[in-house]
Amino acid sequence: MWLFDTIGQWRTNSRIHSLEQVLTAKPTPMLYLQLADAHKEAGNQAKATQVLKQGAARYPNAPEIVRRQAEAEKHEREMEIKRLVERIQTHPNPILYARLAELYKADDELSKTIDTCQRGIKAFPKYGGTYLVLGQIFADKKQWSEAAAQLEKSISLDKYNYLALKLLASVYLQLSRPADAVQRLEDILYFAPGDEAILALLKTAKVDVEAQQPVTSLAVPQTKLVAPKSQTRVLVGSPDTGVRHGTSILPKPTHSKVQLFAKGLADLRSVEGVSGAILVDQYGLVISADLDPSLDEGLAGALITNVYRSASNYSVKLGVGQFEEGVIEGQDGNIHIVQFDDMILTLFAKADVKLGLVEKSIRDFAESILQQ
Amino acid sequence: MRAILAELNKTQGIWGSMVVGRDGIVVASDFSIDVQESQIGAIASQILVALDGALKRIKMGEFKRFMIGGSENKLALINVGQTILIVLMRRDVNMGLANVDIKNAMDAVAKNSRM
Repeated sequence: MWLFDTIGQWRTNSRIHSLEQVLTAKPTPMLYLQLADAHKEAGNQAKATQVLKQGAARYPNAPEIVRRQAEAEKHEREMEIKRLVERIQTHPNPILYARLAELYKADDELSKTIDTCQRGIKAFPKYGGTYLVLGQIFADKKQWSEAAAQLEKSISLDKYNYLALKLLASVYLQLSRPADAVQRLEDILYFAPGDEAILALLKTAKVDVEAQQPVTSLAVPQTKLVAPKSQTRVLVGSPDTGVRHGTSILPKPTHSKVQLFAKGLADLRSVEGVSGAILVDQYGLVISADLDPSLDEGLAGALITNVYRSASNYSVKLGVGQFEEGVIEGQDGNIHIVQFDDMILTLFAKADVKLGLVEKSIRDFAESILQQ
Repeated sequence: MRAILAELNKTQGIWGSMVVGRDGIVVASDFSIDVQESQIGAIASQILVALDGALKRIKMGEFKRFMIGGSENKLALINVGQTILIVLMRRDVNMGLANVDIKNAMDAVAKNSRM
């Protein structure tokens, strides 16, 4: 029996290897399906889903692969929902509520989505991500005023939230408030310069402003987003551990995960040539940061999330598969971006930093976090 | 330009490379695997805009290179004056070796662009 299993496993692995090679040289939708099936047969459902995602991204008009990918994604969402519900009961934090609400929303479970948002807001009223999900729901239902109210609340808590700003600009256009839309879009361009989707929306908004000129004020507000003074915002923690401090939620220093993040970032910062480290969530909100005082953490988080979004959204189309890490080299320094456990870790380093040392330090940090 | 890329692609672990203008238009390409060149060029150009802006905002100077590591392969976007050199590599490529050849290709592309 053991020998039979071993031979079966060897055959499956050999088939996977062979399919991967053919797929790299000459991809077809059928090959993606076969490779996904082989991974499933090998008991690796996550890898099978990943292959289907890559196939669907490459062949969006192939019906079978799109259907299978949708099925796999639904299964993935169900598992994730289960995990998040359990996590919220044991270790609640605002990001978990926002993610859970997003998953319910993806399944068109509107009442569950709204309920999750409301519970999240009650527990963590100072987290912008949950208001964003509520804003998205109202926008989907074309309840523009309600959507604007939620999105404005989200932005008042996190002025660099790309998704909230972009959706709010679209909502303002629906509400015939193009001048306000222009202002929000210009806010985005402050931290996402040259973003094509935003530039296209801005063009539309400016046309609408011109069309309104005879009946409304001629002036388009020119207020630019100004980076706030450096502040520490830590979002992880139970509602009871948070104390208000300016616009920040500063958990009590006894919280183990907060301490772990802070210590991990401080360790990274102590590596020779590293000038700062920051951990952000998928919305660009800062979880923990240890940066040079000259660098505003909110702005740094937004800029990095924008670069990360550009790279990760297109990584499959660029032929690299799912985004894992990136190193940006500038004339005067490097930026290392690593994705792990739904967070983005970013390290700022001098141009002459030893890359091997940095990579080892990042791996050590990731391991220490993931072990918790 | 194609000869420069062909030389670079002899390096072990490199799947292929291409040169695109900053507007994303493909100038030359040479790949040993099937890739959608015009799509890669357009995306690279878009990413470059985001990177340029980010580096300026946080005062890290002019963009030099962006290396993306994924679950399957690695990709390098390299600023070469008015063009971008794009190199697609295996995930397990020896970066020390590849870096030397990429630098040589970069210099050759820069020289060729000036001519």
